[in-house]
Parts: sequence; C-alpha cells; structure tokens
Amino acid sequence: MASVTLRRISKRYQEATVLREVSLDIADREFMILVGPSGCGKSTLLRMIAGLEEVTEGDILIDGKVVNHLAPRDREIAMVFQDYALYPHMTVEENMSFGLRLRGLAKAEIDRRVDEAAAVLQIKDLLKRTPRQLSGGQRQRVAIGRAIVRKPKAFLFDEPLSNLDAKLREEMRIEIAKLHQRLGATIIYVTHDQVEAMTLGSRMAVMNGGIIQQVGTPAEAFFRPANHFVAGFIGSPTMNFIDGAVAGGMFKSPDMGFKLPGGTRASGPVILGIRPEGVCVNKTDGSSLSEPVPAAIEVVELLGYKRNLYLKAGEKRLLATVDASFDGKPGDTVSMSLQLAGIHLFDQETKGRIG
Amino acid sequence: MVETPQEVAAVLAAHHRRQAVQAVLIHAALIGACLICLYPLLRMISVSLRPGDRLISTDLALIPAGASASSYLRVFKETEFLLWLWNSLVITCVTSFIGVSLAATGGYAFSRFKFPGNKLGLTLLLGTQMIPAGMLLLPLFLMIMRLGLINTYLGMIVAYSVTSLPFSIWILKGYYDTIPRSLEEAALVDGTSRFGAFYRIVLPLSTPALSIAFLFNFTQAWNEYLVARVVLCDAQRYTWTLGLFELQGQYLTQWGMFAAGSFMVTVPVLLIFLYSSKWLISGLTLGGVKG
Ligand SMILES: Nc1ncnc2c1ncn2[C@@H]1O[C@H](COP(=O)(O)OP(=O)(O)OP(=O)(O)O)[C@@H](O)[C@H]1O
Ligand SMILES: [Mg+2]
Repeated sequence: MASVTLRRISKRYQEATVLREVSLDIADREFMILVGPSGCGKSTLLRMIAGLEEVTEGDILIDGKVVNHLAPRDREIAMVFQDYALYPHMTVEENMSFGLRLRGLAKAEIDRRVDEAAAVLQIKDLLKRTPRQLSGGQRQRVAIGRAIVRKPKAFLFDEPLSNLDAKLREEMRIEIAKLHQRLGATIIYVTHDQVEAMTLGSRMAVMNGGIIQQVGTPAEAFFRPANHFVAGFIGSPTMNFIDGAVAGGMFKSPDMGFKLPGGTRASGPVILGIRPEGVCVNKTDGSSLSEPVPAAIEVVELLGYKRNLYLKAGEKRLLATVDASFDGKPGDTVSMSLQLAGIHLFDQETKGRIG
Repeated sequence: MVETPQEVAAVLAAHHRRQAVQAVLIHAALIGACLICLYPLLRMISVSLRPGDRLISTDLALIPAGASASSYLRVFKETEFLLWLWNSLVITCVTSFIGVSLAATGGYAFSRFKFPGNKLGLTLLLGTQMIPAGMLLLPLFLMIMRLGLINTYLGMIVAYSVTSLPFSIWILKGYYDTIPRSLEEAALVDGTSRFGAFYRIVLPLSTPALSIAFLFNFTQAWNEYLVARVVLCDAQRYTWTLGLFELQGQYLTQWGMFAAGSFMVTVPVLLIFLYSSKWLISGLTLGGVKG
C-alpha cells in the first residue's frame, strides 16, 4: 500500500479547463472520497491518477515518486470502473487472474489469490461463468475481485455502485467498508451519492468546477462546511439559505431578524445557512432558538420517522424536518424559529465561511 | 368487443390462421430464393458429370444418364489444374492474411485515435469503392509494372490486398466503435501495453467482423479475373480463373472440363463459408459492461 499525492494538478482540453491546481494528500491506507456534482472533474482526476489521462500541469506522486510519465501498468494501481468493464470473452476466473497472468505469476500463486478473493466476495460458485451470465451485483463483485487479487498500491473506484439498485447498493457499500478494514488499503473513491460520501470514507474532498472546495472528515464537511457550495452540496435534504445582512450582532433579512449568538465576527452582507433539522416549529426554548416568526405550511411530506414541512415565512421558503408526530396541515400557520447552534454564515462576495 | 368464449376462440383461431399463412409465405419465398441460388450450382454439377457426347443437352436431371467422372479426370490429366489451384491458394491466403491484418490495425487507428485526417481518410477510403474496378486496371498495371512485380505472386498479393482494404477497414472500424473503451482501459490498468490491450481484448471480441473481412478478402481474391489477366502472363503463374478460361478454345469450348473445374474451385469457398458462419453470428454479445 502507498500514499498518493497530487501537487497542483491541472487538466486542460483544447480550450476547456477541467481541473485547476488540485492538490491533495492521501495517506497510506486512507479511504478518500472524491465527491461533487456531475461534470466537476472527478473521473478525470481519477483517470489521471491511473495514467489513463495525461496531466497538463502538476505532479502525481505515488509513494513519494512522481509517476506522471509512467504507463498505467507501471503504476501498480487497480481501478474499478462504473460500467465494471469485465472482459466479455473471459470467465470470471480469467477476468480476475488476467493481471496476474500478465505479470507472469506462478499458477499456484494465481489460483491461491483468486480463491482467496472469491471467498471474500462470495463469488466462488461463479468462477466458471462469463460476465454476461452474471447479475449486476455479481459483476460488481467480480470487478472488485479483479482489483483485489492484484494487491495494488492503491485502489481507484469510479462510482462503482451507481448502476445498482438501492438495496444492492446498500449491501455493497457495507461490503466495501468491510473490505477496506480487512485489506487496510489506500482507496480513492469517486461518488456523487451522499450516503456513500458520508459513511465510507475517512476523509472526503468536495469538488466543484474543477476545484477542490474542501478536504476534511465527513463530519467536518457536514458541520463546518468551508463555503456556500459545500454547505449546499453535502447533506440531504439540502441546507436552507437566507440572504441578509449582519449588523451589531443582529441578522436581518426582509422576512426575519434576530440576534446571533454572542461572539460573531460577521458583519455586512451574508448568506445564512440552516439545515432543515435546525428549523423548529412551534417550539419555545428561549436562549437556543432565534426569535420566532409566523410561517405558513405549504406542503407536508411524511418520510417515516420524520416529516418534511415546506414553510413560507414572509416571502421566504424554507424546509423544516420535524418529528413525524407533528400534525400540521397545509394552510396552517405555525411559529418558526432557527436553532442558533445550527447557523452557518457565508460571505455573499467570496461565499467563504465567516462563522 | 369480444366477449363470449366462442368469440374469443374464433378470434384466436383467426390469429393462428394468419400466422400459419404468414409462415407458409415466408418459407415459400425463402425456398424460392434458395432454388435460384442453387440452380447454377446444380447445373454445373450436372454438366460436369455428363458423358462427352451430351454436353449441350437440355436434360435437367442432376445426375445425367450415363454419368461419368471423365471430365474431372481430364481436367487433371490434360491441364495444369493443380498448379493453377496452388497459385490461387497461395495468392488468396497471403492476400487474406495481409488484408485482414492491415484492416484490423488500420481500422483500430481510425476508431480509437484522433489524428489529423482521420475523417478525411475514412471518406477517401469509401470514395475509392465508388470507382469501378475496370477503371483502376490501367493505373494498377502501371504501378505493378514500375514496381517490377509483373507476373509475380507478390504483385498479385499487393494488388488484391490493397483493393479489398477500404471495405475491410470500414467493417472493422465500425465494429471497434461498438466496443467500450473502458475494456481497454481496464486492460491497461491490469498491465497490458497499448498493443496488448488491442491484441488481448479488442481482437478476440471482434471475431465476427474479422470473419467478414476475411471472407470478403478470400472470395474477392479467389474469384478475381481482370487484375490477374493484366498482372500474370506466364501460364506457370496462372490462377484457376485464368486457367479455366484457357479451356474456352477458339473452335471448341470444353464445357465438361470447364464445369468440373468450376465445381472443384467452388467447394473450398463453400466450406469456408459454412465453417465461418458460426463466427459470423455474433455469439459474443458484450456482457462485460453494464447495458
Ligand atoms: N476528452 C474530453 N474533451 C473535452 N472535455 C472533456 C473531455 N473529457 C471530459 N471533459 C470534460 O471535463 C469535465 C469533467 O468530466 P468528468 O468526467 O471528470 O466529470 P465527473 O466529475 O466524473 O462527472 P460525472 O459525475 O458525471 O461522472 C466535463 O465537463 C467534461 O465535459
Ligand atoms: Mg465520472
């Protein structure tokens, strides 16, 4: 296993710049998530690490050595593709042993490794089948198996679960988490699935428009988003944003105004962010909540344990997630307040976090 | 509306009748087409078996009265038939091999690499197919002559493999386009070189297109007459097409021997077609990637 370091990587196609000065340190045995909206350059970054895409500027280091000009096969990494990319003309066993045979390993060693990986992934009965005789989930396991047997320096996953149905995705997610514990492998994992991003990795890099917006643990990204984009991208349902201004410790927008907790450095135009769980309805708890304002319920959604309320306070629409036991109906007017501890403030200019 | 069981039964019966009529019509059409294809072949067999005195008879029997193998024996005894076959075989096999190899690699370049002239090149290749073969005869002859390859196997091989190349490249390029690139990328990461990915992944998956290209090259070269007429002048180098044509004498055409020879050169082509049909049916539908 090995560390992977990106030093100010840029990628340009003729006129389009896809990645800008991306720097990232991935430690040995770390599970790093790359997450971001479609088209932000996640796959491009991963393919550059694999050697499938040329680096326009900057250096990629694996285990401290610059690998920019190494062919994919000399980088000793394994990649699991979104479409699995199993070789259709080979059996599962041949698919898995392909890389080992190319490297001229002894037959006994190859068999041992394939058996071991097949046992871990529970695909022992499938070894003689061809890919087209497998279900989606089984193909995914084989694709992972093909990566494991190689014992590479690092694993690259490009949205490996996005073609699976919800239930299978959940199962495989847990499998992959277990696999990481068992192998102690360095993994770089691209996804745009919230749950995968939050649960799988030890750290995540949130990307947008070819730039890394924030690198940190999932908790950091969730509880202390570095900027407006990360705040809106991480977390589901999405954070509420209210444009307003801070003056003398008071937040003021056209539709509401209240005193921010003491010690806020912010002043001037801000974007206030509050997660739907932080929007309280008909609660009076003095110091931890903001000044209540009246709000009309527009739509109610029952999610199970929770209920989503689409509220309208003045002209501002907000989403509140409350206990399912709440029994308001559309049309009702409630008193809405915000949990002060859950408030994020971002600069309207720079979109950066200011408190 | 259909309601009672009787009515339902009546509708179903009508449906089955329609299906039956359709099946009969389709089969009749297919059988008719087969007969049209087979008729010349059967005539050829029939003529080749006739005794020497009844060649022009209009008798339609497949095995004519007094059938004899004498025409076959005479082809071997009185002509250089084996030599012609050998010449044809060498030229055809080498041509097919070279033609398919060049098309396989050329088509790959056209399918996978961006280079200046990619589009233009493909269009030009297609354009050459529009020119009637006869028009190319003179330039081809001049080129082969300047290269000093008149009357050689090599000259024939060059002429044949080059003329079949555009079609083969198009076939293969089109087929490669349907193979997902991620398969090659997976192979690259797994440890192949660029050529290794082509050779171990793309080629094995392309057997249907490769067989079509091979069959095309093979039949073109095997049956070709005009170019051979121009390039080959020494009877020792004749292919069977030239050789059999020699039987067409000024006063007397040896129809029996002609038919016997024709039949014998048809057999290898038929066998190759039968054999390769299993490759043609694209048995390896891609199941390696999602979709
Ligand atoms: N060969 C190319 N030429 C020009 N632009 C390209 C090329 N390949 C990718 N791009 C552009 O680079 C950007 C990043 O693409 P990339 O595939 O890395 O996105 P992604 O983050 O993986 O998105 P997704 O989540 O949809 O997979 C896209 O805007 C895409 O249009
Ligand atoms: Mg992608």
